[in-house]
Amino acid sequence: MDIDKYRKIFIQEAGKYLHELDTNLLRVEKDLPNRDLWSEIHGRIHSIKGMARALSLDTVSGLCHSMEAWCKEFQMGTIGPTADAVQVMMDSTELLKGLVAETAGGSAHADAREIERITALLSKSPEELAHDTPPDSHPVSSPARIDRIPVEYSLVEELLARSQEIILLEKTLPPLSHDQISSGLRSWINRYMSMLRGLHFQLAQLRLMPVHDFVSLFDRTIRDLARKYDREVKLELSGGEIQVDIGLMERLREPFIHLLRNAVAHGIEPPDEREREGKNREGKIVLEAERSGDSLVLKVSDDGRGIDQEAVRRYLKETMGMSDQEIGRLSSEQILNAIVRVDYSSAEETTQLAGRGIGMDVIARAVEYLGGSIAIDSEPSKGTRFVIRLPLSLSIVYAIVFRLGPYTLSVPTAHVASIERRQAASSQPEEALYDLADRLGIHAPAVRPTHTIKLRRRPVQFAVDAIIGNMPLMVMPLGELMARTGSFAGVGIMENGDLSILLDMEKF
Amino acid sequence: MDCFVFEAAGKYLGIEARYIYRIADEVRPAPVPLLPSCHVGIVYYRGDLYDVVDAGRLLGKESSLGKGNPYAILLKWNQRKLGLIPDRIVGLEWIDHTRIEKNAFTGDGRTIQMITPGDIWKILSDLPYGH
Repeated sequence: MDIDKYRKIFIQEAGKYLHELDTNLLRVEKDLPNRDLWSEIHGRIHSIKGMARALSLDTVSGLCHSMEAWCKEFQMGTIGPTADAVQVMMDSTELLKGLVAETAGGSAHADAREIERITALLSKSPEELAHDTPPDSHPVSSPARIDRIPVEYSLVEELLARSQEIILLEKTLPPLSHDQISSGLRSWINRYMSMLRGLHFQLAQLRLMPVHDFVSLFDRTIRDLARKYDREVKLELSGGEIQVDIGLMERLREPFIHLLRNAVAHGIEPPDEREREGKNREGKIVLEAERSGDSLVLKVSDDGRGIDQEAVRRYLKETMGMSDQEIGRLSSEQILNAIVRVDYSSAEETTQLAGRGIGMDVIARAVEYLGGSIAIDSEPSKGTRFVIRLPLSLSIVYAIVFRLGPYTLSVPTAHVASIERRQAASSQPEEALYDLADRLGIHAPAVRPTHTIKLRRRPVQFAVDAIIGNMPLMVMPLGELMARTGSFAGVGIMENGDLSILLDMEKF
Repeated sequence: MDCFVFEAAGKYLGIEARYIYRIADEVRPAPVPLLPSCHVGIVYYRGDLYDVVDAGRLLGKESSLGKGNPYAILLKWNQRKLGLIPDRIVGLEWIDHTRIEKNAFTGDGRTIQMITPGDIWKILSDLPYGH
């Protein structure tokens, strides 16, 4: 897995936050009691801490945690900030810069003695700070080398909108006769517009990241969790090539930390225990990503001990006040799904007894926020599987685009086994083909179908009027009206800006 | 209030101007199967997909298509997006909103039937979808 990629993202993002931290500390130095500024400072530190934790950068996250504790006091006004305290925060920021630079793989930028000094200072209450650090001993910060430009996600959105505006200018081009415009100029305009459409298509892809990049963010986390809990664990991924909107993935980052921590800490057994049960000493966590209709399905499974359903039943009875009869009426699936309820999940002790730790409420809330659903499947000693189904907000999919009647339609290339050209006198009887035209309400095909498309997973083959090509489509989710047909998976935008309706092959 | 007036189904219709996102010209909706006949297709405009509807047919009258109007009225409200193709666009009119109910009257004696995007959506929602 390419952990370097995520290290780079961390370095880039942390660099931005550290720069903002510098600015805010300089401002707060002149306005010590300004709680809003302290709140902003706290926010930046918290963001760095979150990213550092995901990469298991314990020194960075620990330092941030101590800095946050001071910020909270200043924000609440329980302790008044002093110039000395601001200086310690500035020194801590410099130290963070060094630690982040080390993450980049360069030589050691952070002095161990400085780490020790700052850690000792931050462990005190800000009020206890003595003037024990002579002013000339503070490191003098030098500006970082400029090798990246942080780009706000909103700017990407604006660029996308702007590029489409330019594309739409084509519509305002007045109709010009051959006398008024040379063929050379017309050809130039066509080429210009074609390039603009390509640019728009590429800009849109800035919003996408492959699932494997997202998953590789957790490699180090799993390794560290395995060490912490004395487990042997490996992570396997399938469907990592699926490209998903970065906004969606960002929302899933924290829930995934909980899912993985639970799988390692409470699901997968210690190696000796696994061996006694005839399992491989090394436990396995499998993440499968797949596209189903207009949804992204993420399955996270482990081959551990499974969820203790008896513990869940006990909780429902003793804490939730359910009767034996009520519990008896619940299916196994309903029992398991109880652990993602907010009220249940916050009951730390019980969930740990059940084989799952805290944080299930975080997962449930994130999935709910994204308009998705979560289902749990678990078998004693075989393992647990979480199936998270989310609406795809935007994705790129390769698809076979074709014409049928007046429609431009497509099927994901991954679903297609073969495409065959139809001969004038086809030996293949019409009745052997699935009548897609009829299914879509096209009753009078205008032209004789030129090709047939055979699906991979199902014995379905259908005729189409013409194949446009195998091409990447930027897929957008269906609106309410199209979704009512129950037949489509999304709307694909081709590189030239034309639209194609992506068929949901599960429905045919 | 400002009211955007257009002609369709043999009437003058008005929509509160705040619902109008853009008036797009020369839109070429991509047709979608299995949708009601008044659904002309979908267009991608500034990052959003719009269902485009023939206003005349939606209101159960003669189609608004083919009458030389090159414009589509793009509406955005409550996360919904819809394009309307009318027979003809009249333009903006100022109407005393304290005095109107369903019909408003302009200075030159025209009667404008006021509709909301919600009314249009209700008509669309009641139509059959699928096969």
